[in-house]
Amino acid sequence: MADLLEMRNIHKVYPNGTKANQGVSFSVRQGEIHALVGENGAGKSTLMKILFGLESPTEGDIFYRGDKVVLKSPKDAIKYEIGMVHQHFMLVPSFTVAQNIVLGSEPTKGVLSDHQKAIAETQRLIQEFGLKVDPNAKVENISVGLKQRVEILKVLYRGARLIILDEPTAVLTPQETDELFQSLKKLVSQGYTIIFITHKLNEVMEISDRITVLRAGKTISTLITSETSKEEISRLMVGRDVLLRVEKQPAKPKETVLSLDEVSYVSETGKQVLNDISFQVRAGEIFGIAGVEGNGQTELIEVITGFRKNFKGRITFLSQDLAGKSIEEIRNIGIGHIPEDRQTRGACLTSSIKENLILDLYRDKSFRRGLFLNQKKINEHADKLIQEFDIRTQSRDTLAGALSGGNIQKIVVAREISKNPKLLIAAQPTRGVDIGSIEFIHKEIVKKRDEGAAVLLVSAELSEVMSLSDRIGVLYNGELAVILENSESLTEEEIGFYMLGVKKQEKRASAT
Amino acid sequence: MNQRSAVYLDLLGILLAIVAALVIGIFVIFLVSDEPVAALQALLIEPFTTLFSFGSILNRMIPLVFTGLAIVVVFQSGVFSMGAEGQLYIGALTGALVAVYLPEMSPWIHIPLVVLASLIGGALYGFLPGVLKAYFKADEIVSTLMFNFIATLFVSYLLNYVFKAPDSGGFARLPFVQESAKLGPIFDGFPTHAGFLLALLAALAVYLLLYKTKTGYELRTVGKNPLFAEYGGIKPKKVLILSIAISGALAGLGGTVEVIGLHGTLKDNFSAGLGFDGIIVSLLARNHPIAVLLSAFFYAYLQVGGQIMQANSDVPRDLAIIIQALLVIFVSSQAIFAYLKQRKLMSSRGGERVAK
Amino acid sequence: MLSSLWEQTINLTLFVILLRMMPPILLGALGGLMTDRAGVINIGIEGLMLVSAFTSVAAGSATGSWIIGMAAGVLAAMIVSYAMAFFSLKMNVDIIVTGFAVNIFGAGITVLMMSILYDSHGSYVPENPVSIPNVVIPFLDQIPFIGKLLSGHNLMVWVSILAVVFCYYLLYHTPYGTHLRATGEEPGAARSLGIPVVRIQYSALVWSGFFAGLAGSYLSMGMTSMFVRDMTAGTGFLALAVVIFGNRNPFGILAGSAVFALATAMTMIIETTPGNVIPSQFIKMVPYIVTIVALVVYAIRKHRKTLFT
Repeated sequence: MADLLEMRNIHKVYPNGTKANQGVSFSVRQGEIHALVGENGAGKSTLMKILFGLESPTEGDIFYRGDKVVLKSPKDAIKYEIGMVHQHFMLVPSFTVAQNIVLGSEPTKGVLSDHQKAIAETQRLIQEFGLKVDPNAKVENISVGLKQRVEILKVLYRGARLIILDEPTAVLTPQETDELFQSLKKLVSQGYTIIFITHKLNEVMEISDRITVLRAGKTISTLITSETSKEEISRLMVGRDVLLRVEKQPAKPKETVLSLDEVSYVSETGKQVLNDISFQVRAGEIFGIAGVEGNGQTELIEVITGFRKNFKGRITFLSQDLAGKSIEEIRNIGIGHIPEDRQTRGACLTSSIKENLILDLYRDKSFRRGLFLNQKKINEHADKLIQEFDIRTQSRDTLAGALSGGNIQKIVVAREISKNPKLLIAAQPTRGVDIGSIEFIHKEIVKKRDEGAAVLLVSAELSEVMSLSDRIGVLYNGELAVILENSESLTEEEIGFYMLGVKKQEKRASAT
Repeated sequence: MNQRSAVYLDLLGILLAIVAALVIGIFVIFLVSDEPVAALQALLIEPFTTLFSFGSILNRMIPLVFTGLAIVVVFQSGVFSMGAEGQLYIGALTGALVAVYLPEMSPWIHIPLVVLASLIGGALYGFLPGVLKAYFKADEIVSTLMFNFIATLFVSYLLNYVFKAPDSGGFARLPFVQESAKLGPIFDGFPTHAGFLLALLAALAVYLLLYKTKTGYELRTVGKNPLFAEYGGIKPKKVLILSIAISGALAGLGGTVEVIGLHGTLKDNFSAGLGFDGIIVSLLARNHPIAVLLSAFFYAYLQVGGQIMQANSDVPRDLAIIIQALLVIFVSSQAIFAYLKQRKLMSSRGGERVAK
Repeated sequence: MLSSLWEQTINLTLFVILLRMMPPILLGALGGLMTDRAGVINIGIEGLMLVSAFTSVAAGSATGSWIIGMAAGVLAAMIVSYAMAFFSLKMNVDIIVTGFAVNIFGAGITVLMMSILYDSHGSYVPENPVSIPNVVIPFLDQIPFIGKLLSGHNLMVWVSILAVVFCYYLLYHTPYGTHLRATGEEPGAARSLGIPVVRIQYSALVWSGFFAGLAGSYLSMGMTSMFVRDMTAGTGFLALAVVIFGNRNPFGILAGSAVFALATAMTMIIETTPGNVIPSQFIKMVPYIVTIVALVVYAIRKHRKTLFT
């Protein structure tokens, strides 16, 4: 079979210097399902954005049916029969299924829209591809799985022959995933070509013909699915990056600080995002949660910290039940929380550094003088933390938004660590941060552990989890696949198997 | 960029906006007037030439400070309330009732009672749309606009049918307030009444509240980044309702000060848009309570200047209104300010690069 | 007193007044609707109406043609609304602030022009007024009941009702309207399909100028034959309330406008009835209260939807 599409030696350097793609080569054959796999940040999304005309490559060429093409916008991509189903749906909720499908290129009768024809066209597509959905249903009233079908139909309506699906199963239930796979197989049998981006190796094995593995912006290998194994792909995906060495003594764990018992949580969209999770974090240890993003990490932190209520099971902090406690109460009983997104949640970019640093303390009586806040003390506190945490700034009055990512993160870390929490929850504590700041933040976290705090670390960077944690739990698909003691003999490969759903420990066996 | 240089850039931008609006105004004067110099002199200089006109500026400024502060509080909290007008009427009503119907007593007791009544009235009227927004997600822009009409009509009804002064004829009003509830002139012979001092006090109080207290920290934090505030344990709903209630109290006090300082009674339709003027005042002041004093003064100066211009030349005072509209637009043109800041950032960043 | 109201209901006087009162509210609301559905709600309808009202009566009486007057008024309002679009979409002025500024501007510029052109600060009554004509339907106007029901209404009454149908077709039955609604609801989705979101928002604001322009013309050349300063007296805000009240669709807005016009008509009848005891303020208040109730009801309904899907 001839190559339908070839991307040759693609480089992409963003203006801020991030090298997302460094010489990726990738080709797709007519009529295959080609899985594109790789860890977070391996460069998959960038590559697909380039293919769909949303980004332009710094270097490299794209060939479609043997001809060199330049894709400047999605319009160009559509011209070459390339369509993309985004991870976040692009649908208008109050419109019907048919209206969404034809939106932007509606059939007309004179100057008026031809609704009948739109419905008929939709029906025809539904028939042809077996993607069952009611053309007259309003999109706001249909399930996530059906919404995805609408997205696929939208792409087909525009005449795409090559369809990119960006992590299509992330939001789907198992049944919906099965149905999706049936449809994809049918599409391929009709001559369509599919690029399937995912982390889940079970799905890769089930659905794909070939697999391309990306790591750190480079193509590692292209494999034929029937000739490989999950283990092999996993090994290729999880790189042998240089381990970040963190100087630390063996942990001396003491009493249990945080305990989760059979915690489950169903999201607003009805998906079971956390399933029966149990683990303990003890004083003086770092418990790391590894896993590909989107496997329930965000929700796990949010149920512990009080952002999401209505979970099932029990969460206890030093013998206090956390259910029903407000965010404020949870912050006040000795839990520090470095949130995963410093831009929107962890810091207020339009406030000064010192105002960012008193987020809890402004409530504290010792920071008040009569009716007013004690400015002198606030200033001293800010200066002290700027010094201690090496926040590089002209003054405490500088706006947080004017600092670099690493320094903003140091503000967050300084605030959460300086309150002397008994439990520190650190989510993606070094994401997008320069090397110097990473080392500094890691040291601070270890220091806190040695002072007797319990630390719950959540990170999509496997090397970070491995270099910091004393014990490691792996989240996969909302379940805690395994809990492992961290030791010299534990390999990234081993954890990779659990992260990608290749292996799963039998239930309960490991619940400490 | 630190807070201070951001403030300077903002200030520079606002000055540019004022100059631009004035230049267009002057251009229009030259276009339409046969005596442009006289008109300009009347508009820009004469307000300062007599004690009376200067005093009028200060008198005009008083309610604008109150409604401006009312808007400052909600805008800083990220609430788009347009309800100052209605809150002003309700506060004026409750304050006026206490001022008229309580017996004569010591002003040191009477005036505080009047003030308290107006604060409560205005606050409660702000509380309503706050609750609707917090618990029913009812858009506050539309609801407060509606509440404005309801308040104006309600007060009008009471003045026409329930509390109408027998001698008030076609223009309905309350009986005159008790002597002990009146705010006299600041000092004898000066036209400005003591409400001016209350306005200064209110600006100081709002400044302290917003920048020096726990509550102010909560209000501003929610206004700047509600997700960050929520993460810090601040309750956005509480802040929403509180901010609009405080705003209502300030607007209400503004209404009452007009009653006991300027008119001596509550008149039907006495405000004619003071609550909306507060929005302009606050926008000009970049939502800063102390700057509100300046912008309210400037606004009042334009109005008095416009009046003198209308009396002494062939240019009507409505020119001043057009200048105000242009000011609002220019001062709010984020693109211009973003451009200024971008340039500043670029130049400082450029410096860093060279250093590397 | 109630009997007089009843009498005027029976002999259709109430209905006739209602229809007289309705066009400015209805047209203003349709203008508001177009912007609201495109996600750039225009609260400056009031100012646009004033600009058009003054321009219409000035151009109309100067040329002796109501058509030229109306065209001039509509054009003026469209120019101002285009400037609004420029400032809000290009200069990033908040759309609420822009609308607010247009209201002030409209009030100022009309009186300024009035005093420059006609040396008056309060009102301008042209010596040779022109009016948008009334539509007398031949023969039908001879029939007692039906004649009064259908004949003799101002042309703008029919235009405004036709405008409802026009907006309905435009919004729901043309690609442009679909794109406009998609832009207001999910700009990201619209953009991803190549719909020019900003251009559509520009056009929506200019539509609002068009409809507010018609409304303004009617105020000064139909409902009255003069210009009075601030003669809109809150009609623009009322129109905004009608958009909410009418659940953001053209026919809902027609119903809402009728209700609001009814309240105004009843107020007028009651105020002019000797020995009246019902305070007109309460009747005037009803539409606003109902709007707040509607706002809450719609908000709850929408909230439920997002919760359960």
